[in-house]
Amino acid sequence: MSIKISHLSKTYGPLIAVDDISVEIPSGTIFGLLGPNGAGKTTTFKCMLGLARASHGSVAFDGKPLTPPLFESIVYVPERDVLYDWMRVGELVEMNRRGFKRFKAQRALELLQTFGIDTHKRVRSLSKGMKTAVAVAIAFAREADVLVLDEPTSGLDPVNQRHVLNLMVNEAARGATVLFSSHQIGQVERAAERIAILDRGKIVLEGSVDDLKANRKIVEAIFPNEGYSLNGLAGDPRIGRIDRSGRIVRVTTFDGADEIARRLEAAGGTGVRVIDLNLEDIFLYAVAPASATADVVEGS
Amino acid sequence: MPIVLTVDPRSGVPIYQQIVEQVKRSAALGVLQAGEQLPTVKQLALDLTVNPNTVARAYRDLERDGVIETSPGRGSFVRDDGAGASTEVAARDVTRRAMEASVREARSMGLSRADVRGVIDALLDRWFPEEQ
Repeated sequence: MSIKISHLSKTYGPLIAVDDISVEIPSGTIFGLLGPNGAGKTTTFKCMLGLARASHGSVAFDGKPLTPPLFESIVYVPERDVLYDWMRVGELVEMNRRGFKRFKAQRALELLQTFGIDTHKRVRSLSKGMKTAVAVAIAFAREADVLVLDEPTSGLDPVNQRHVLNLMVNEAARGATVLFSSHQIGQVERAAERIAILDRGKIVLEGSVDDLKANRKIVEAIFPNEGYSLNGLAGDPRIGRIDRSGRIVRVTTFDGADEIARRLEAAGGTGVRVIDLNLEDIFLYAVAPASATADVVEGS
Repeated sequence: MPIVLTVDPRSGVPIYQQIVEQVKRSAALGVLQAGEQLPTVKQLALDLTVNPNTVARAYRDLERDGVIETSPGRGSFVRDDGAGASTEVAARDVTRRAMEASVREARSMGLSRADVRGVIDALLDRWFPEEQ
């Protein structure tokens, strides 16, 4: 099931929590939402799922607005626990079995066992990580077409974190659309095909993780002395930033790194190299104001 | 499935490209033999914990480059071109990428074409003494 978010905004009085977001998520995609705390990730999820009323904009699932019949095919795991904490884990499974036609109780019990959870325990007696595991196990047994997971690995140990990521891969392989947020860039980098980076309510970057890595590079060159000229490189639209430090220049490019490397050589640069960027580099670049990380020299 | 692929998601090299290069290298080294079946997209995605579309993209690239062939319903196989053509293609690709990085670095350190050729000739003399 595809998801299309169009011009979604949410304001709380003077506060703009989500600011004109548009994203299309094709069916069968694992989509990662990244962003600093308070960037608007959870609010976006809530507006998508009708748990908060959007101030503007719309969300469509396979081209249609959210209506009650769709609730069977969409599952949401919130960041904060919403499990009835006075229930036993087994009772939660039973409640879901009665509530959702497609729910596979046997699958839920198997997953709970994998996570090492005793179904006789009451939810309130579980640790934060175990509560996450219960919510996730129940969600993955729903056979949903859309899974919206807010921090689905928080509090889990590395083995169970990997297990959750693998469950997401498994869901996507059977055609489900998975939308998740995480503070751990490494997880998003591993499991997500596409990402969006939210910062102060706005999407500052969106795209395929592999395409972003293939295209975004830093080109570094060393010049014989400090009085070098970059022949108008600063006006190139493919260049995001030029950082100079003495005789060394680093050019952050969105595309065409090889050609920019040749131009730096032509300008007299030596030791020219193209440096790959991982998602963390790309994330920091997207959310950090340019002036905070380096001085920018324009038009030299 | 004898090949063991690993990916480093934290690397700046796209994951599909890491998969493509490792399969090519395995084919070139004969670890993957002509006619041998690759894991399904889903299986490899689960083994590596990467999303299935990324694996599918790698397989499409490998098919385009003539290293594997995919038949619907049967799966993906290392191409069997009789003369080991796919392993030769793979070996050349892997070599070109490694040498390109060195040649680029040599150039940017200021060596001339003749200088680089001299270095390569010396290396060839050392590693292919029988063909001097």
